[in-house]
Amino acid sequence: MSIPLSLLDLDLPRRNGELVFDAPWQSTVFGLAAAVTDNAFGGDREPFRQQLIKAIAAEPARPYWESWTAALEALVETLPERRRP
Amino acid sequence: MNEKGHHPAPLSPVEQRVAALEALLTERGLVPEGFIEEITRRYESEIGPLNGAKVVARAWADPEYRERLLTDGTAAIAELGFGGAEGDHMVVVENTPAVHNVIVCTLCSCYPWPVLGLPPSWYKDPPYRARMVREPRALLAEMGCPLPGDVEIRVWDSSAEVRYLVLPQRPPGTGGLSEGELAGLVTRDSMIGVARL
Repeated sequence: MSIPLSLLDLDLPRRNGELVFDAPWQSTVFGLAAAVTDNAFGGDREPFRQQLIKAIAAEPARPYWESWTAALEALVETLPERRRP
Repeated sequence: MNEKGHHPAPLSPVEQRVAALEALLTERGLVPEGFIEEITRRYESEIGPLNGAKVVARAWADPEYRERLLTDGTAAIAELGFGGAEGDHMVVVENTPAVHNVIVCTLCSCYPWPVLGLPPSWYKDPPYRARMVREPRALLAEMGCPLPGDVEIRVWDSSAEVRYLVLPQRPPGTGGLSEGELAGLVTRDSMIGVARL
């Protein structure tokens, strides 16, 4: 029942896809949101999603990854202050 | 490296904001070393529509798997090793000669990442998000997927709770193909529901 390995040669994701990220800052902000979700919210994606919904609603025509950036900035504001050493 | 390499282009405003976020979050210990590179690599090379294509091909080739997939999408997709973040409640909706399904996220960009990768840019844009709900038949036609008037269109609005995947109809004349060959026929757009095979 296993899929033949040759399938990997089909390169499907690109044939029918687009570049995932257009610029390095987009993959960075994507990864940062994932890191905060994992490491500050225990993997709960809802806090970030709610910020993203707000960011998109605030400026619907803004480019997507810029809304993503605004959402992450707003999410970071909600993090508890770092304890002083 | 040319002579101008000594003076790299100044960062755009959004690049500066992302750099500030990266510095802040790294300083607070929330970004493990190599995390961003690894997640980017995974989404660019491992997680993509090929995963969904394997699920669809298995469903076409194995009626019992198809039943399990339509009954409990999350569990059946996990059988093939796909799951985790952004796909924990997967519902698979099946196209038939009478019903065409299409997915959208009206509020943001929810999408079945483990089986389709990151969403295409148009999926995240306001016109798609608004019009697929308001006038799906017209928008599908514009996107190259005209549907006969007697085909019912069902639009599924993704959410944090549920992610949808469309099970396209198996193309005619593919009876002799192997599962791997079938997977090669399945496009990302057919699994979003903006194309038919």
